[in-house]
Parts: sequence; structure tokens; C-alpha cells
Amino acid sequence: MAIPLEARSLSLLRAGNSVLDDVSFTINAGEIFALLGGNGAGKSSTLLTFLGFLEPSNGDVLVNGSSVRNDIAAARSAIAYLPESASLYGHMTAYENLSYFLDLAGKPANREDIDAALDKVALAEEARTRRLQSYSKGMRQKTAIALALLRETPILLLDEPTSGLDPVAIDEFHDLVKALANNGQTILMVTHDVYGACQIADRVGLLRGGKLVGSFSAENGERIDTETVHAAFAERETA
Amino acid sequence: MFRHMTREIRFLAKDRGALFWLLLAFTLSVIAVSFGVTEVREQRETIAALIKEDASDRANALKGQEEWGSAAYYAFHFTYAPPSDFAFAAMGQRDSSPWKHRIRMLALEGQIHEADTRNANFGLVGRFDFAFLIASVAPLLLILLLYDLRAAERTSRRHDLLVATAGYSLAIWFPRAFVRIAALTILLLLPLWSAALIEGTSLTITLQASGIAMAALLIWWIIVEWVNRIDASPSILLTSLIGLWLALAIIVPAISKAVIETNNPVPDGGEILLLQRETVNGAWDLPKDATMKPFIAQHPELRDYAKIDGPWAWKWYYAFQQVGDQKVAPLAQQYRKARLERDRQADLAAFLSPTSFAERAFEKLAGTDTRAMIVYEDAVRGFHSELRAFYYPLMFPEAQYNPALLNNLPNYVPPS
Ligand SMILES: Nc1ncnc2c1ncn2[C@@H]1O[C@H](COP(=O)(O)OP(=O)(O)OP(=O)(O)O)[C@@H](O)[C@H]1O
Ligand SMILES: [Mg+2]
Repeated sequence: MAIPLEARSLSLLRAGNSVLDDVSFTINAGEIFALLGGNGAGKSSTLLTFLGFLEPSNGDVLVNGSSVRNDIAAARSAIAYLPESASLYGHMTAYENLSYFLDLAGKPANREDIDAALDKVALAEEARTRRLQSYSKGMRQKTAIALALLRETPILLLDEPTSGLDPVAIDEFHDLVKALANNGQTILMVTHDVYGACQIADRVGLLRGGKLVGSFSAENGERIDTETVHAAFAERETA
Repeated sequence: MFRHMTREIRFLAKDRGALFWLLLAFTLSVIAVSFGVTEVREQRETIAALIKEDASDRANALKGQEEWGSAAYYAFHFTYAPPSDFAFAAMGQRDSSPWKHRIRMLALEGQIHEADTRNANFGLVGRFDFAFLIASVAPLLLILLLYDLRAAERTSRRHDLLVATAGYSLAIWFPRAFVRIAALTILLLLPLWSAALIEGTSLTITLQASGIAMAALLIWWIIVEWVNRIDASPSILLTSLIGLWLALAIIVPAISKAVIETNNPVPDGGEILLLQRETVNGAWDLPKDATMKPFIAQHPELRDYAKIDGPWAWKWYYAFQQVGDQKVAPLAQQYRKARLERDRQADLAAFLSPTSFAERAFEKLAGTDTRAMIVYEDAVRGFHSELRAFYYPLMFPEAQYNPALLNNLPNYVPPS
């Protein structure tokens, strides 16, 4: 089976500046990979490269074994993308937003499917027929997560998915992601949250200044050690 | 594609801003078309009333006349160019060139151009008719509907999610723009189609007009698409597009008009009138021969009757009227030619501005272009020479006055 996500010596320039420098990793089916890094480290840019919005200046990104630049549409259709500070349409309800985006993806869903997904992210039922402009940040984030779930794609790219969620919602979200991975979906998740990343990820990659400076794996069914990762993350100050 | 369209129709139905512009487009179209229909109705009523009065006025004027000369002097004839069944959509030159006259057998050119001195004046923008709406206002509405299609999604950080979800860019932006433009086009054309049905406009003309409207909007769509490729904020895009609109819809037409007019000076209609009046008035003091010689040069068949004895004769009076026409003929000819030349050059200049192009195309379909107005003038000239051809053989040989013969007076037939 083809490797769902792979970066091969990926380098990237944005506005003439080096944003990613020789980054390589592979993520296998059913794996959760957390990309950790400070502001401006290049995390979001990595996701955009997998989606074909940014073109590598060197190296390559592959989705399901084939280079993204060869068939951007195919790569995108295999991926559900949760953008950083996702914003759906404020003038539409959760139902309307989700049906619009699912139509757009060519995967129309019925009301029951949508309700099931909104149940999973615990969006209050009374809110579902309200316009998103009346939502809190966390409620909007939950709706966007529901969209990613409903896409039922083999791959999920999540950019700071827990931002705006309360601690209970974060725990629930972590359970949800684990369930998806158990189901065989491949997850690349970008986060600042060292603790959260270590909680659920099979592997954590540490990105600093566009370079992959560390990689931590869960060994023999144990969690990745938060202390170790945190220490590595904090080195940024001294580096 | 169908799936994309239905999705975007549903999306548009929730976009209040876009719905507002579409409703405005429909309202403006209803207003423009009703203005046009009302104006055309009024013109038709005026013509009908004047046709009715024409015969009775003439009968009154002819009553009690005892000479061919005085009969011709007092009898007015109503001439007119009726509005076409599509004139409601584009009043065109009918607003600035006369389309009706009351003429008699005196010197003609002055009578034709007299009306020039009281043009309707609508300032820079012109009459608010459908042609103006589709050529000048609709592009602005199209810009307002499309300018931030992409940019607004970018500023609300939705762009990447939309495109990533759709798979490729065209799957979202094309149907989104297309649905808006289709709605705009249909809402603009619906009132036109209704009025065309009421007015009995032929299907070919209605279809051609719809085609022109669509082509004009398509060109503006391409312009907007091209500008929207720039990765700029919505307000910068809007400013650039409004600038382009100003340039293409107002400035370029105004400049080409000014250039064409400077390069093709046209004598004022008033000049023709003045020269003719001077010639005709001057003839009173000239020896009779000075009038009769040039007259006979034009009418050799009347040579035998050209001798004027005595201080006054109707035939001498009408001869100097005709010489008045002969005298201004070069000026009138120049006037006519220069207007046609301006028109020809304006046709070429219209390729620089979709607005001018659409407006002129509509005027052509509506028969309200310069050419149509000149065709009408020529019809008046033709009728006037029929009048002369009727009276001269009676007047010059000084045939016995016989009012019964006046039943054979030529009838004015408007150009079709
Ligand atoms: N639109 C852009 N044009 C040019 N450069 C950009 C653009 N967006 C981001 N960058 C640059 O790319 C680099 C990486 O940005 P990126 O958004 O990938 O960081 P990040 O790791 O996601 O940061 P954060 O945690 O703040 O979201 C930064 O140096 C940033 O200045
Ligand atoms: Mg980021």
C-alpha cells in the first residue's frame, strides 16, 4: 500500500524567504503524526504544500505515493483539511455550511449524517440551526471539525485543531482523533500544544526555523514523554 | 457542472448583498424599459395626432386660395420618422435629431435644420433607456457582484478551505461567477423581453439585442476576471475596477467623441439656416435674371416659362426659394457627409469601449442611429422634390388654378 503522506527533502520559499529546509518524514496509514513548533516554524506552510497551494522549491511532497504537483485535485480529494482558525460562512447555519461544503467536495450528506458528526464534536443541538456569526470560537471550530469528519477521507490535515476548544472538548477531540486513526485514517496534526501532542500522537516531529530538528516516537505502547519533548521544544530559546 | 450550478444557486439565494444588486438591476431595467415604452407611445400619439391635423389643417389653408403659388405657400405637410418597434430600448439620435417636421414648398434645407436649434439636452450621460442601462450601468452592477468573489474569501481566510474542498479552483469560482452573471443577465433582459412582446418587436431583433447584451456583459466579466487575478484586497480590486469602468464607459467614449468631432468639423445646422435665409432675402433686391438663370440650369424643361415680367410673380418667388436650396446645397451636403463620416469613425472607435459598442449596436437595431436619421432627412428631401414636381408644371406655365387637382398632391410616406 502506498504511503499516505510523505515529505522528501522538502524545501520551500515564500516571498523569497526560506520557510522549510530539507524536511523529510513519512506518515503511515492509521498513524497520528503531530508537527510541533513555535510561531513561524513552518507548520501551516507544510500543510499548504501537501494541498498543492505552495510548490516546493526543492524536494517533493507525495500523497498516496504520487507527487502532489502531478495531480493536485487527486491529492486534495484524498484529504480533509482543517485550516488554522477555520472560518465557515457566518451568514449560514451549521447545517447549511456543512451541506454547502460537502456538496462542494462532491460528497453530499443527509441530515442524519450531519447530525451524527455534530454529535461527535458535541455541538449543542439548539445551535445547529443558528447562523455561525452567533457562535463562539469553539463552536465554530467544532463545526469545522465536523466537516473534516464528514468528508470521510483517508487523510486528515489538521491545523491547530484544538485552538479555541475548552479542556473537556479537547479531551473529547483527542478521543475522536484516536478513533479515526484506529479506523485507518491517517492524521497529520499541527499544534503548539506539547502535552496534547504527546497524549495522542504516534510520532511527534519538532519543527524549528523550517528544519525538522527532532522526532519522537511512542515506544512499546507507551505515550511519548512530554518532559523530553518539552525540553527539546524549549531549546528554541537558547538555540 | 450541473451539480456545481445548483449548489451555487442555493448559495447565491443566501447572499443578501448579491441579491440586493440583482434586485436593483431588475428595478432599473423595469424603469428604463418603461421610460422607453412611454416615450415611444407619446411619440406615436404625437405623430397620430399630427397626421390627423395635417389633412384638416391643409384643407383649411387651401380653402379660398385662388393661385397655385399661394396654395403652395399656405399648405404645410407633416413629415415624420415613426419610432421602430424596438426604439423603446434605445432612443439614440431621436433625442438629438428632429424626427418630425411641418414643411412647405419654400426653401427646404432651412426648414430641415431649423429643428436642430432645439435639441433635447440630457447632459453627459444621456437618456436613461435600456441601451444606456446595459452599456453603462450593468457593467457597474456586474463589478459589484463579482469584484470580491475571491478576495472576500481570502480576507475571511476561507479561500484555501474552499479550493481544497472543491479540488480545483475552477470548480468553485466559475460556477459562482456564472450564476451571478446569469441571474444579472436574466433580470436585466426580462423587462426587455416583456416590452418586446408588448411592442411586437420581431424575434430576430429581440434575439440580436439579447445577444449584444450578453456579449457586453461577457466582455466585462472577462475584464473583472482578469483584474481579480491580482492578489489584492477587495477594496483595491474595487477601486481598480471602478477606475477601469470610468475609463471604458465614460472617458474613452468622451475622448473618442471629442477627437472625432474635432477631426470632422460639421457645419452647424443653424449656419445652413442662416445662409439660406440670407440668400432668399437677398434675392428680393437682385435682378430677376440672377435668380432665374441658376434656376433654369436645374430645370431646363421650364426654360420657356422663365421670363418674369413685372415686379412680382409666384414662380419667381419659388425659383429663389429653390436657388436658396441650391446655394446651401454644398454646405448641406458637407453637413450630411461629415455626420456620416463621424458615424463611421465612431463605429471604429466603439471597438475601444464595450459601452460605446453596445450602445451603438442597440441604436442600429432600434433604427435610432445617425444613419436612420439621415435616411429620414432624405425622405423629407424626396417628398419636398415631389411637391416641387407637382407644383412646378402647374405654376410655371401659369395653368388655370383648379383646386380639384390638389387631391393629387403627393403623400408623405415615412421611410420604413
Ligand atoms: N502569505 C505569506 N507570504 C509570505 N510568507 C509567509 C506567508 N505566510 C507565512 N509566511 C512565512 O512563512 C513562515 C512560516 O509560516 P507558517 O504560517 O507556516 O508558520 P506556522 O508554523 O504555522 O506558525 P504559527 O504557529 O504562528 O501558525 C513564516 O516565516 C512566515 O513569515
Ligand atoms: Mg500556522
